[in-house]
Formats: sequence, C-alpha cells, structure tokens
Amino acid sequence: MLTKDELERYDRQILIKGFGEEGQARLKKAKVFIAGAGGLGSVTATYLAAAGVGVIRVVDHDKVELSNLNRQVLQWDEDIGKEKADSAAEKLKRLNPGLKVEAVKEKISQANISQLVAGFDLIVDAMDNLPTRYLLNKVAIEMKIPFFHGAVHGFEGRAMTIIPGETACLGCVYRGAIVEGKFPVLGVTPGVIGCIQATEAIKYIVGIGQLLTNRLLVYDGLNMKFSEFKIKRDPNCEYCGHSRGKESR
Amino acid sequence: MSVKINLASSLRHLTNDQAVVEVNGDTVGQCLEQLVARFPKTRKRLLEKNGALSRIIDIYVNGESAYPEGLATAVKDGDELHIEVIISGG
Repeated sequence: MLTKDELERYDRQILIKGFGEEGQARLKKAKVFIAGAGGLGSVTATYLAAAGVGVIRVVDHDKVELSNLNRQVLQWDEDIGKEKADSAAEKLKRLNPGLKVEAVKEKISQANISQLVAGFDLIVDAMDNLPTRYLLNKVAIEMKIPFFHGAVHGFEGRAMTIIPGETACLGCVYRGAIVEGKFPVLGVTPGVIGCIQATEAIKYIVGIGQLLTNRLLVYDGLNMKFSEFKIKRDPNCEYCGHSRGKESR
Repeated sequence: MSVKINLASSLRHLTNDQAVVEVNGDTVGQCLEQLVARFPKTRKRLLEKNGALSRIIDIYVNGESAYPEGLATAVKDGDELHIEVIISGG
C-alpha cells in the first residue's frame, strides 16, 4: 500500500503504462544488494533509491579518495577519507528518506558472500574486478537471485542481465582473468552503464519490458555506438551448466 | 571469402586506427592470422604465446559468440567478426 506522499513522489513513473501503483508497490517491497559504491554503484544506487526500491544494501570496504571523484558521484569532496559505503548510504537516505539503506563495510569474499546476499531479491554487480564478479555470479546462480552485470573501461562499457537457471550467466561470457590494476575511465561511462543496470533492475522488479538476457550490450562511447551480441548458455559452464531449466526471457 | 573484422575501439591503435579490416579465411583462426600478418602488433593482444585465442578476447561471428569453437569456428563469404576485449572496471 502506497502512502499519499509516495503516490505524489512517484507520480511520473506510476503514469508509465504497465507500471502503475502495483509496480510502485513492488519496488517498495524489493530488496536490492549493490556490490560496490564506486562508479557503477553510485549510479545504480542513486536511481534505484530515486525510483523507490524499499531496501538497498550497499557493500564496499574502501575509503573515498580524491581520485575517485571524477566518476563516483555519490562520493563528494567532503567525503575524502570516509568509508564509501557510509558516504553513499548517507546521500541515498537524504535523497529518499523513506527507504531502508544499509551500509556494509566489508570486502566481499567466498567466506561472507552467501550471508551478505541472503534475503535479497536482486544483486547488482558494481565491482571493479573480475574475481569478485565471478563470486557474485556463483552465489547468484546457487541462491537463484537475479544478477545485473555491468563493467566499464575508458569510454567502453558492458551490461547483461542474468536470471539463474534460465539464461546465460557471466561464466558463459567470460572465461579469463584480467590482470587487475588501475583502469582508465571517464565518469560518464559508469553513468551510462549504471543507468542501464538500474533500468534492468527496475524492469525486473516491476515485471515489465524485455530484459537484457542472453544478450551482451557493448557501449562504445568514443564512437557513440551500442552493439549487441547473442550469448548462449554454455552447457559446460562451471557456474550454471548444472542448473539448466527454462531457456527463455 | 571476404570477411569483415570489426575491432573494439581499444584495439584500433594496433591497426592504424582502422575500425574494420577485410580478410579472407574459412575459419576465425585463418581470419585472425591474416589480421596479424597485416598488423603484427595485434598478435600480442589477440593470441596467447601458444597461438590460442587470448582469454581476454571475445570473438563474435555475425553477432553470436564464437565460444567454445573459438579459432576453429567456420566463417563464410560476407560474414562479420567482432573482436571485443573483456573489461572489468566499475
């Protein structure tokens, strides 16, 4: 049930065909886990909070540094030295005080990941490294939690939505490990990709539109081009190969 | 057997800024061999030392992933390859 204030706050999106008060009520009930409060995490969290997602858990173990501020738009100059998760949660609460926003200052690992995501309806991948993405993908498949992948580099970005047991997963796309380190990026790139991830998450919760499943969307900002590639489920995928179910969406 | 190879923008500095390179070949591997012959700097980025496809490279043939066949994937006249590089920043 939406309050009078909620009906007014979300009036413009409730007007969207297929969304309505029912869709808004679904957002209010939804619990979204956001892995990372950096470039992608700042953007996805902001738009999910603005849209009225009831519970948002932001997980990040880093502290805000000056060099983060070109892209991590929930982290401001005054936040340098603070925990990113705290700083992000504080802004999100100010943006939309009616939500429950949790800041978790832990490093996501094999040891804690199941506990961290337990009880959440969606996982948003806003990480900055492939090994943690594989961990998130693994737990998403095991716990059957939809997973919203995004990654950026320079002017380039990628996004894909994963419905466990139904669609291709991260392991069906990526097979390698990248040498990690400082990567180049312009702030607008996680802006674009984070908005795509948030759009996908909202569509999934509300139950409208066609999801970015079995498709990898590649964004090339330098040439302002979007490409889409078909991804099939890999029967030998180490993550989802054993959990074959419906092949749809 | 003309096949167009579309390169991710992050690879184009290796091909004198060419976004599309036309090659001839019956497999993805043969197409990449020609690309490498014409632009030798691409070898280190696309292939492992043993000649296998680099694990940070994705190949798509007419918009579909070439995995798991990879370099052995058959191509025909008019096909388009896309070479993309895996990224992991956030």
